[in-house]
Amino acid sequence: MRALKIAATGMTAQQTRVEVISNNLANMSTTAYNARRAEFSDLHYQQLAKPGTINASDGTVLPTGVQLGLGVRPTSVSVQLSQGSLTQTNSDLDVAIEGRGYLEITMPDGPASYTRDGSLKRNGEGLIVTADGFAVAPEIVIPEDASSISINADGEVYAYFNDRVEPEVLGQFTLAAFTNERGLEAIGSNLFRETEASGPAVIGDPGTDGLGRLKQGYLEDSSVDAVREVTELIEAQRGYELNAKVITAADQMMAATSQVR
Amino acid sequence: MDNAIYATLTRQAGLRREMQVIANNIANASTDGFQKEGLVFSEYVQRMDDSDLSLSMAHAEGRMIDRAQGQLTRTNGTFDLAIEGDGYFMVEAPNGPELTRAGHFTPNADGELIASDGARLLDIGGAPVFVPPDAMSVGVAADGTLSADGRAITQIGIYMPGDVNEMRRSAGVRFSVDGVVQPLEGARVVQGFIESSNVDPVTEVARMIEVQRAYEQSAKFISNEHDRILSAIDILGR
Repeated sequence: MRALKIAATGMTAQQTRVEVISNNLANMSTTAYNARRAEFSDLHYQQLAKPGTINASDGTVLPTGVQLGLGVRPTSVSVQLSQGSLTQTNSDLDVAIEGRGYLEITMPDGPASYTRDGSLKRNGEGLIVTADGFAVAPEIVIPEDASSISINADGEVYAYFNDRVEPEVLGQFTLAAFTNERGLEAIGSNLFRETEASGPAVIGDPGTDGLGRLKQGYLEDSSVDAVREVTELIEAQRGYELNAKVITAADQMMAATSQVR
Repeated sequence: MDNAIYATLTRQAGLRREMQVIANNIANASTDGFQKEGLVFSEYVQRMDDSDLSLSMAHAEGRMIDRAQGQLTRTNGTFDLAIEGDGYFMVEAPNGPELTRAGHFTPNADGELIASDGARLLDIGGAPVFVPPDAMSVGVAADGTLSADGRAITQIGIYMPGDVNEMRRSAGVRFSVDGVVQPLEGARVVQGFIESSNVDPVTEVARMIEVQRAYEQSAKFISNEHDRILSAIDILGR
């Protein structure tokens, strides 16, 4: 009874799907998190009779032949790219990216990483860093005596002082874009690395070359749609049960055979 | 054994195969672009020796691919493509070109669109589809024309085999075709959508119950036939 083993591959695949869904739901409140989706593909097919085989009994040619499939396997877990909604935080150093692009982050070890999580902080040296303390590239230093910081849509950063009217230009945020954002490798903590599949980072100023713009005082929510995830969860659970039902049916068929005598 | 049991055994062998087909359909109920499989039984007739009687047996001889449209699910992926209506994408598999409706592609480092196992998507001329790595926005029109930043680059090919009976399944939701494959006129491609599997679980479960019960009936029949022969021997041997 191959049906038993085939249904088992189906159950494994649906289980993977449930794991991906549970990770999405766990990250419902993670800043700038993008939902992921499990994808499947069918397995090898057994050729029982090739199309074009001559039928032994009467010499006719079989038009289609018989091929039996052997089940399913998970092939990839891909990122669903969509903009999450923006939530106002009123913090000077929170920037949301509206549209395409990632902030470039300098890692203490190894190559740069990229993030859409714009909940930035100021460290002891005055440097603008991520919540984990990694510096944002290009580096921007906030003077000790600055009273407030303003970041405009094009990424220009200004500092205001209590004893002066004119603001001081501190620097310029840039954004990185990739041909294939889905090819980025997630390394945790909302950070991504470029890979062969993503292509190299193309750096530009916000608002140019199809890059998004910055919005100070806002953060991007996760793009997880709870309703959609729950519908997927129901589908996955029912899929799992259906495959279990096939196992039961195949088992009963085997029982019928063994009870002949 | 007598012929009644032989005929019933062929029926059982066919039902086991059909069960395997149903199991594979249900296992692939969440596989994007999967087209469900059916099995065709035929009668296998054998003339009995020197009489006009004949013996008929069931034999699972053929199969069919159900080409009904699966549901389209919005993913917003730039390189997620679904086909509305008939037709298949063509990818370059290791053993030559293969057809598929699973339209989830990603560009590789060279900018060529590939399926999840690395097989390259082919255009209307049979060449790999290339997307410039520095393209900021990529659009695919309904006729498969792919444009980057507003400039048309290539046309993704939608193909149809000359004879659908020549399609053979291979792993990865694909078909290899032994005969002619032509580009399909008037095909419709939708960007940002993926076609779900066209397996309808309700129908499959109904078929499965049917197969299971038929199988059990056959087993019961063989059991009864066995008892009948036993009692015949018993009575005649007295």
